[in-house]
Amino acid sequence: MTLASLTKPWAPMSYGFLDASAKRELRRKMIKAVCVPGCQMPYASREVPMARGWGTGGLQVSLTLINPGTCVKVIDQGADDSVNAASIRRFLARVSGAPVTLDTLQADLIQSRHRIPEEILREDQILVLQVPNPEPLRGVQPNMSIARQMHADADYGRMWLQLYEQIVRAGRVMQGASYPSMVNGRHVMTPSPIPRWDVPKLHMARHLTILSAGREKRIFAVPPYCRVEPLVFDDVPYRVEDHGKLTCARSGATGFFMNEIPQDDGSSAFEVSDSQFGVKSIRQRDGETVELGETWYKGGDLSK
Amino acid sequence: MAYVATRGGERAIEQSERLFRAMLGRIGAERVAEIKQALPYLVDRVMGEASLYDEDLASLALAQTGGELYEAVLVLRAWRTTQPRLTVADPVEQNALFTHRRISAAFKDIPGGQVLGPTLDYSHRVLATDVLAGTPFDFLEVEPAADPAPAHQPSVSAWQAANDLVDVPDPDAAAGEEIPDLTREPLLFPAKRAHTLQSLARAETGGVLALGYAAMRGYGQAHPTVNELRLAEAEVVVSHPNGTKFSAGRVKVSQAEVVSKQGEKLGLGFAAALGWNEVKCIAAATLDLNSKGAPKGAATEEEFFLYHTEGVEASGFCIHFKLPHYVTFQSSLDAMRDAKATRAAEQEPAE
Repeated sequence: MTLASLTKPWAPMSYGFLDASAKRELRRKMIKAVCVPGCQMPYASREVPMARGWGTGGLQVSLTLINPGTCVKVIDQGADDSVNAASIRRFLARVSGAPVTLDTLQADLIQSRHRIPEEILREDQILVLQVPNPEPLRGVQPNMSIARQMHADADYGRMWLQLYEQIVRAGRVMQGASYPSMVNGRHVMTPSPIPRWDVPKLHMARHLTILSAGREKRIFAVPPYCRVEPLVFDDVPYRVEDHGKLTCARSGATGFFMNEIPQDDGSSAFEVSDSQFGVKSIRQRDGETVELGETWYKGGDLSK
Repeated sequence: MAYVATRGGERAIEQSERLFRAMLGRIGAERVAEIKQALPYLVDRVMGEASLYDEDLASLALAQTGGELYEAVLVLRAWRTTQPRLTVADPVEQNALFTHRRISAAFKDIPGGQVLGPTLDYSHRVLATDVLAGTPFDFLEVEPAADPAPAHQPSVSAWQAANDLVDVPDPDAAAGEEIPDLTREPLLFPAKRAHTLQSLARAETGGVLALGYAAMRGYGQAHPTVNELRLAEAEVVVSHPNGTKFSAGRVKVSQAEVVSKQGEKLGLGFAAALGWNEVKCIAAATLDLNSKGAPKGAATEEEFFLYHTEGVEASGFCIHFKLPHYVTFQSSLDAMRDAKATRAAEQEPAE
């Protein structure tokens, strides 16, 4: 045996960009996060060749999970062709050699910013959500160490109070995206800035969701078949965005989360936010044979 | 059918990067060498904030980012984090520093003497416009002192400790791999002392100055006196696997000790950084001085200033607001419109 036979030839960059010690750190913290659903695990978030706040947390998770056979989809605001999604997809493919796809059904790994696809994810798929602010208590407690103590004590009174105050002042809960949700009956987490429309998709989902905040150095997870319940009062039910009756002006699809496009005449047009689902809907309408997966919502209502 | 343009984003980002690169033109080794020679203080600042001491790489980072400092630091940090940690150097003791400049505002004279060293402090800040008219700006030869100051000096706080004026911290026994490393562990609070000093060392200069200045102006409890400010070179002493210790080279370092009266003793604040960067060290040491017992949420509280002076994180988050946010915006619009409609319905007069 020679020394040369035990070593690999020098390479300017590790496979998947991150070095082995960074990946080990990520794996350990992902396992911890899966074991304690919704609990934020601090991790040694490394710098990656992308600015902080641009998906560096999600990127580190994707780089750790990826292998040459992983089929990757990247979305931003529901769209695959958004500039930053395109940039991340290109980077992942470049450093891993993994194939990429726009189709949710073909993806093994989906890195997303602010949306969960409309087609139901399977047990063999992993969703990685980019998280700008991992702390659901930030609005009521900006200090991270105090907020951490509050999670330890399951001290969520101020969270409830904030929701109650919104109802008193505005007549309804005013929280837009990032709706605080109780995970596995224990930890309140932010589901990342996904719309309220997407939060119920996490509840008892078949797939694993990993949420990673690179700048804030926190990782948390929703394992498959885990409860994710938006914080609501018994007499004030949870309400998703009122998009159930809207129709996509391009594909004709109805009952999905929409982008509102302001028109010159002062009105609004709508288009399906999940861009590739929209593309497939257009193709189907035009008579092409496409595979549309089962969707979480049917006719604008949650189907499960 | 505009959906077919699904690859438009990729073309756009490719071309926008080309526009930027075309503006800077071709970058060769000579441009990097010129930056290294002409802008040593900028190179120092970037090396400090990147926590990577390599003048060539820092100059290259400045060249390829066109001097966009946040980008230059990010590109260095992203390179640094992929490099293996080969070994941990020996601790650097103050009196082992090869000192170029060392001043104390606390005493008229100090053991070892005040050493002004290279500085613009007492220069008149007049722009040398003659250079643009074709007359080069020339420097005068330095006249060496007949009796040069010793290159190695004790610290001022050592004298104060001997005179029972200050309690210097107990020596930290952690060595080698036991020393906490901020680049390999998350920063948690209350922070480990090593993490605090490492964070300050790589903090963004402008951010540290802003918060340090706030503390100096009165949003802190302690008024700093510069006990000692030092610009020096430190030997990086490492151990060969066979046990031999040797110097792997010298790095420029700066450090500041600031003190303030706290009862019968002096309170001590400290900061050090790679490269020569006086403003940052004085401001950082002032924050350190003020952090003990600072109320939660104050600018002088450790969690507050360490999080908010992390330049790569702060600048990244700031520019991320350029990314599309139309999903979150749509979600908010939905709640606003509904609240407004409900309110309007309530205010309809009863029939």
